[in-house]
Amino acid sequence: MKRRDFLKDIAIGSLLLNIHPKVFAQGTGSPDVALIQGDSPSLITKEAITALGGMQRFVSKGDKVIVKPNIGWDRTPEQAACTNPEIVKTLVELCFDAGAKEVKVMDNPCNPARRTYVRSGIQKAAKSAGAKVPLPNKHHLKKIPIHGDSLKEWEIYTDFVETDKIINVPIAKTHSLTRLTLGMKNWLGAIGGNRNQLHQNIDLAIIDLAAFFKPVLTVMDGYRILLRNGPQGGRLSDVKLHKTVAAGVDYVALDAVGASFFDIKPEELRFLQIAKEKGRGEIDLEKLTIEKRTI
Amino acid sequence: MKKERSKKYRAIQAIRIFTQFFFFGLFFYLLLMTRFPGEDYIKRVEIFFHFDPLLALVTFISSRTVYILFLPAVLTIVVTFFLGRVACGWVCPMGSIQQFFSFVFKKTKLHRPKKLEDNHTVWKYYLLIFILMSSLFTLDLVGIFDPFSFLYRSFVVSVMPALSYSVSSFIGVIYGLNLLTIGDVLVQFFENLDINAIFLQGLLIGMIFVGIILLNLSRERFWCRYICPLGALLGVISRWNVLKLKIDTEKCIDCNLCSLQCQMQADPYPNEKWKSSECDYCFTCSAICPTNAISFPGKAAPESIESIDLSRRKVVLTSLLGILAIPFFRISPARSRASEKLIRPPGALPEEKFLQKCVKCGECMKVCPTNALQPTMTEAGPEGLWTPMLVMKIGYCEYYCSLCTQVCPTGAIQELTIPQKNNLKIGTAWVDQTRCIPLKFGNPCIVCEEHCPVSPKAIKFITVNVEQPDGSIKSAQAPVVDMATCTGCGICENKCPVVDAPAIYVTSVGETRSERNQVLLDIFQSEEDPYGREK
Repeated sequence: MKRRDFLKDIAIGSLLLNIHPKVFAQGTGSPDVALIQGDSPSLITKEAITALGGMQRFVSKGDKVIVKPNIGWDRTPEQAACTNPEIVKTLVELCFDAGAKEVKVMDNPCNPARRTYVRSGIQKAAKSAGAKVPLPNKHHLKKIPIHGDSLKEWEIYTDFVETDKIINVPIAKTHSLTRLTLGMKNWLGAIGGNRNQLHQNIDLAIIDLAAFFKPVLTVMDGYRILLRNGPQGGRLSDVKLHKTVAAGVDYVALDAVGASFFDIKPEELRFLQIAKEKGRGEIDLEKLTIEKRTI
Repeated sequence: MKKERSKKYRAIQAIRIFTQFFFFGLFFYLLLMTRFPGEDYIKRVEIFFHFDPLLALVTFISSRTVYILFLPAVLTIVVTFFLGRVACGWVCPMGSIQQFFSFVFKKTKLHRPKKLEDNHTVWKYYLLIFILMSSLFTLDLVGIFDPFSFLYRSFVVSVMPALSYSVSSFIGVIYGLNLLTIGDVLVQFFENLDINAIFLQGLLIGMIFVGIILLNLSRERFWCRYICPLGALLGVISRWNVLKLKIDTEKCIDCNLCSLQCQMQADPYPNEKWKSSECDYCFTCSAICPTNAISFPGKAAPESIESIDLSRRKVVLTSLLGILAIPFFRISPARSRASEKLIRPPGALPEEKFLQKCVKCGECMKVCPTNALQPTMTEAGPEGLWTPMLVMKIGYCEYYCSLCTQVCPTGAIQELTIPQKNNLKIGTAWVDQTRCIPLKFGNPCIVCEEHCPVSPKAIKFITVNVEQPDGSIKSAQAPVVDMATCTGCGICENKCPVVDAPAIYVTSVGETRSERNQVLLDIFQSEEDPYGREK
């Protein structure tokens, strides 16, 4: 889609909004989850966002947006330990096209940030689209009340608080403790402190964190998924080319869809089961409207 | 009487000062560039060391191997042979620092030059003899006194961390004043410089550095005059150079200002006392001479040149001391049995060979992306003082990184590609059953397994059932280390949530470079042994 067409679409879209302000809010036009398959990470991402009603549904003019990919490990995109850089880049472009004033891309990685930002390819990709890609700044860490059931407060990077919109872009991988690491667990990269302690109660911790950050949009990178030796893998034989992106508002539903990439039933994942019981979102794939397409 | 200073030599002096700033700047720039460059292979940031003939010579003698990268040192020798110790006066960053502080101390009247009759400049020759003699018998002590190693180590382990700490505090104040944008810009700038800020012995090495600088209060360029063994070596080479000082006796008013202000105690006045091998060609004497009587004609030598006044007895004594010192340096347990804490960087040669080559410069400690490389104190015995070891509580060995192997100036850590590096072990991880959260309490954790970078992972699981005080049973996955595939990188120890004494920790046993420090029967994990040993 050309920029001009896009702007035209936005113009038409805003006209529609004027006529029927509740068209999009009611969600009559857009599915819960857009599940798009295809060869190009960038095209399937665009298609998924379009299926949800376009980025302007999530990002308003003049917004400060923060995009949170997984840049946790000193690994290349082919090793599928970090979010696909093209998907991140596409989201940044879409945010700017929707009128965002500033787009920031950051993560607090497990390996040194200067290395992971480079090897993941995300720094270069996001910067080329005009995003700011700051290294995590410890002066931005602040103890903030989470008001969760298990986490009362934690050190959070204020970059994720002092922003208008948050977009979560996790990659789907295996993990020995939570079985899979998807969107909700991605929030461990937005916090500081002694976060490795959270593993002792990881399911409740990530549920609390996800509720705290409340992304307006979750885009699940399933282009390459990590089947073994997660969450960082290493060998290419650990990786499966799945060529899928899923996007939606309900972050619990997105994790449920992510589980299906691995042929795992959502209710088998304890954190999803608990999240559903707490009413944080839907995990029954039957009850979700999923727009599935291959392009 | 009308003062008539030489314009020519004052101009040369100005150029010399500029050159000193330039080379110090270059030294500092290369030091800053000794960090992860955004790609896997780094350029020759350690090039300064390769111009150092002392390091080249001692490494050659002690290890009995020629290291081709030291070729530029020949240039220094040639230049010194023909032009004298210009390298000391014009290039050496250590010399420039000494002179800078000497200048400051003189300007602030903290140091007043006195007329000196002593002959202490010979100390450095004895030190050189001591170092050379001990290296002849494979004891490599040059790194402690070599000026580049000394300066680089002091900067990496002490000055830069102190600077980094100060900057960090300053940035804290900036944020405190709510100047957020300035703070953010500063943080991003300094984060990108990647300065390793935590060092064992930062205080000790810093105190030695400051001490050496403070010695300039007593004598100008104290280090260069009395201690520097590289200066001594260049002094020996320089005695036949063509740049000789000449005093025009017609013009000379015997004011002695030149000898008083001489940076190097080379005694320009009277002419026949001038020590060619001490002169660093700063041209201070010719520039300050009130009657323009001093020149460096650059022709054949004058009749008599004060030779280096070494006493034959003392030379013999120092030589003997250099040899006698060797057993004393080697009666530590470090030589008979490996220390569990002595985890050498990947590619480090077998310990004996490593110690013959390591010059304790700190290049590896600077480039390490996780700050894991630290100077030893006692772990490697006295002769291994300040050599590098990994301390996993501070950092760990990053999987896709072989930067330390690339910057080592002497080949004590042999250069490795990343696949080569990932093929070898620097140690082995052990689980402390009394502290591990799943093993002790039956609670979930497995942070170590999550971070283990090898695939398949070297940390595997067993299910443990831990009885609780109330009689109930909790089960959890607990870590077990696969000794064959564990590389000893230490990220498990670094990230273990039991922070004070991690419940999983790495010791040196199993390191590929050692044939004795092993547990498993078959020590060669891969077909190709990186140390070229036969299977």
